[in-house]
Amino acid sequence: MTEIAVGDQKAKIKKPLPKSRQMVNEQTAKAYADAWEAKKNHQPIGWSTAIFPQEICETFGVPILYPENNAASVSAKHMGEQYIEHAEGTMRYPINICSYARLNIGMADVLDDDKYVSDPKMPRPDFLLLANNSCTQLMKWYEALSRNLNIPIFFVDCLFNYYEEEPSSHKVKYVRSQIENCIKDLERFLGKKFDWDKFLEVQKISQQNRVLFNEIVELNSRIPAPMSGFDLFNYMAPLVICRGKASTTAIFEELKKEVLEHIENNTSTFPGDEQYRVHWEGIACWPNLGFNLKTLKRYNVNAVMNGYVTAWDVAYEPGDLDGMAKAYQISSTNSLSTPTIMGKRVESMKHFGCDGMLCHVNRSCKLMTFHIHVGREMVEKELGVPIATFDGDQSDTRVFSEAQFETRLQGLVEIMKENKETKEGERD
Amino acid sequence: MLTMGVDIGSTACKCVILENGTEIAAKAVVPLGTGTKGVNEVVEIALKLANVQRSELALVYVTGYGRFNFPEADGQRSELSCHAKGMKFMVPDVRTIVDIGGQDVKVLSLAPNGQMINFIMNDKCAAGTGRFLDVMAGILDKKTSELGDIDAKAKEVASISSTCTVFAESEVISKLSANVPLPDLVAGIHASVAKRVAGLVFRAGVVQKVAMSGGVALNKGVVRALAKEIHSEIIILDDCQIIGALGAALYAFQEIMKQKNKE
Amino acid sequence: MINMKNIDELLAAFHDIATHPGKQLKHYTDAGKKVVGYFPIFVPEEIIHAGGLIPMGLYGTQITPTIAGKYNPIFTCSIMRSCLELGMTGKYDGLSAVVMPMLCDTFRGMSSAWRSGVKNIPVVSFIHPQNRKDTDAKEFLADEYRALAKDLMEKTGCEITEKSLRESIGIYNQHTKVMNEFVAVANEHLDIISPVVRHEIMKSAHFLEKKEHTEMMSELIKALEFLPKHQWKGKKIILSGILAEPIEFLNIFVENKIAVVGDDLAQESQQYRTSIPLDTDPYASLAQQWLNRKGSSTIHEDKSSRADIIIDMAQKTGADGIAVCLMRFCDVEEYEYPFISEAAEKVGFPVLCLEIDQSTQNNEQSRTKVQSFSEN
Repeated sequence: MTEIAVGDQKAKIKKPLPKSRQMVNEQTAKAYADAWEAKKNHQPIGWSTAIFPQEICETFGVPILYPENNAASVSAKHMGEQYIEHAEGTMRYPINICSYARLNIGMADVLDDDKYVSDPKMPRPDFLLLANNSCTQLMKWYEALSRNLNIPIFFVDCLFNYYEEEPSSHKVKYVRSQIENCIKDLERFLGKKFDWDKFLEVQKISQQNRVLFNEIVELNSRIPAPMSGFDLFNYMAPLVICRGKASTTAIFEELKKEVLEHIENNTSTFPGDEQYRVHWEGIACWPNLGFNLKTLKRYNVNAVMNGYVTAWDVAYEPGDLDGMAKAYQISSTNSLSTPTIMGKRVESMKHFGCDGMLCHVNRSCKLMTFHIHVGREMVEKELGVPIATFDGDQSDTRVFSEAQFETRLQGLVEIMKENKETKEGERD
Repeated sequence: MLTMGVDIGSTACKCVILENGTEIAAKAVVPLGTGTKGVNEVVEIALKLANVQRSELALVYVTGYGRFNFPEADGQRSELSCHAKGMKFMVPDVRTIVDIGGQDVKVLSLAPNGQMINFIMNDKCAAGTGRFLDVMAGILDKKTSELGDIDAKAKEVASISSTCTVFAESEVISKLSANVPLPDLVAGIHASVAKRVAGLVFRAGVVQKVAMSGGVALNKGVVRALAKEIHSEIIILDDCQIIGALGAALYAFQEIMKQKNKE
Repeated sequence: MINMKNIDELLAAFHDIATHPGKQLKHYTDAGKKVVGYFPIFVPEEIIHAGGLIPMGLYGTQITPTIAGKYNPIFTCSIMRSCLELGMTGKYDGLSAVVMPMLCDTFRGMSSAWRSGVKNIPVVSFIHPQNRKDTDAKEFLADEYRALAKDLMEKTGCEITEKSLRESIGIYNQHTKVMNEFVAVANEHLDIISPVVRHEIMKSAHFLEKKEHTEMMSELIKALEFLPKHQWKGKKIILSGILAEPIEFLNIFVENKIAVVGDDLAQESQQYRTSIPLDTDPYASLAQQWLNRKGSSTIHEDKSSRADIIIDMAQKTGADGIAVCLMRFCDVEEYEYPFISEAAEKVGFPVLCLEIDQSTQNNEQSRTKVQSFSEN
């Protein structure tokens, strides 16, 4: 925000959002509008887990919304408590299950109750798309939705990679079989024929979008970074909810242009002086994003890279269904073993010149927290950089503590500072 | 040349006045935490003891939970760094520092040159802090400071689970009503704290020498129980409570030297 | 001649095995046998058994972990935390390997945590298919079980053949039969088979070679059948959950004269709900058993049958209520508690929710709840 003096009063003028951000907001609004429009016309819409093979319904032309993404948005706007309270109270769900699930299960129970207002609002789904690559709790969450809303689940069980090796052929075969059967089952349910030519096109667009996003992320390896790494939390939305759409290509092309301009002009979207670069591990604390960014800025820390956004890097050759099956099977942080994930983190941190690692111990996410606990010594051994953890949650506001976050960040910065001064001292 | 370090904790305020970065001219502790008059009181007491005016202080650094609410300070540092600095000053070959404060538990790992290389802090919602001991002492109708001597007479260590202060509270109450002897109960409470803290120490790695700072270090019972859990001697200083403030005063001195060298 | 003294001896033997698994482990390794631990809930023990190895269940223990917290977050289930603690402190030394199913998120994490924390005991991980109605699910699992066997052979040096696997399947089916017989017979002798005794008998199955256990169980059933039936005058309850421990917890039911007349516990009767159908390919047999399983929070069903199974059990046994023994931080169980409790209450069964946590020993809340149930 910039302040200008107007007489005796200072008026705050909000800096306009970059064009790419406006395009993201428009795209998200359209995704919701399309779903509501379909409902109005008695057409089916679905709710899907975050890394389900979106190519399928994109090909069918059926609007799909994403409860995890919705929960993140709703809780970022501090509107999530009402649903979480409903799930924990009347609906009896224990407090220890994932907060996205509590929020969404609570919300799904009161879809027609006007007393509950939130933004953005999702219409009632007619079916569910479930892929458990992100975690097993998704399976239980969607079972609850299916039971409570009395709608079917279309399931692609993505298994889990407990060792570091490539998925064996019998695993890929099973996932591919499910994708093929899912298409057949949806044909019957929707009363539509699946257009395999269109599918190939959607696959191509999906790959194009994925590659573009990687190129943009790669630009942030420059020192100093042209982007505040936190921007990635905003720009991942198109990749999550519109990965197979041309509108995403347009957004990423625009964003890439903007980032290249920053590099050209030696400017950045990071609102401060980048003295330290860290890798952010774990999901964002959506209700506390503003405070996190403000505090990081105050300590001149740019979280240039995070592991979370790489989960949508679903890479395969268009036309290769085995390749697509395998890609979904290995896509999420939570579908891979800690040695595999930490290996990636180490490479990424080297490449992005990270001085330290800041880890969000997310009360809702056992898997990512396991990675942090088990992987910590692997990263420390390989890179010798300091690692700090703090407690928080992706959408339950009761867990995060501002004082704790600041203290631990400050401790991390103090070590990074001494390391830097030691290195500079050695050089002199 | 005098520098001052103030450690504004959740349950107590501490102050150290340091002369030329080497001599402790004065030290003070007031058992009132951040947001109370404890802050001003502890500064006044230290000034009086050192027989100096505020104007004679070259630089004042502050640390601790309440460090953002002390406008008189010239600068602030996290209590992590201050504890490391202060302890290194007092125990030159220290490598592992355990600090059980009012609100949290920290284990600091130091490099041979005293630089802090890692820190581990307690998981959220974990008993084992000073607050936990205060609550337990309250139930037993004792002062926290008395707990350290009571368990020396324990015949058995009562089992108190340590996952949550609230539940541990009801456990102690039911054992009290079952007439479990007080020394055994206190030994159980101390063991509970020690187990919690030991887990963090192992995570950080036990590298000799090991020292404790923070108010709970004065509790001999906890120290005994912790030393047993981590199979290591633990160095306790009489001045363990003022380590953080000392570190802040040392940082203030360091800053002045840095400015001087620039000129 | 069967008399009470024989029963007492038998029960003492079950008690000893259930409460001293470490002793049992040593007994086998001293005899030159190799023992392989298996984690809950569903592991194809038959494959372990077919390699001439003794499968032993790993169900944690009542301890407050001190060093397991390095790898396991504090908000994960206490069974896995205590298992990791036992592994990291050498209490599982003697095991040649452990087998770990990827049945929940905590297991996903444990598969790496174990390898970091317990380097001297190799882990054999594997995963079940959750989309069981898919046309490839069965073949996938048969292949996954074959991979498990290969992994196990490499890590323990044992040999598993299709012939030995078919034999082991036969032994396990026989054991399943005898355990279900016991559960039925036990209800006619609730004066002897108290909640604690019942639990120890069921738990001991995880610590003995299955044929040995079948023999012990057959003796017990014969001994019980010889005695006159007992009419239980107190209240009756069904237990549901992962496990119902420790003894102090079960004693709350004993104190309040409540008998356990059936269970939907992963550690106990859920193990014996589904026998292994026969097939020329023994791996396909085992895979089909998985496809046939019902009523577990760790297994996806399009329309969960768990509430129906519990209600049916309660009705058939004349139970007065249901106690959900909710393992703290067991997310799969936590998702099912609302619908199980609502379904049971709808048909008139009171449902207690009792917290289970191996790292704490506080049973006071449970005591109050159970006492109120017995008084009403």
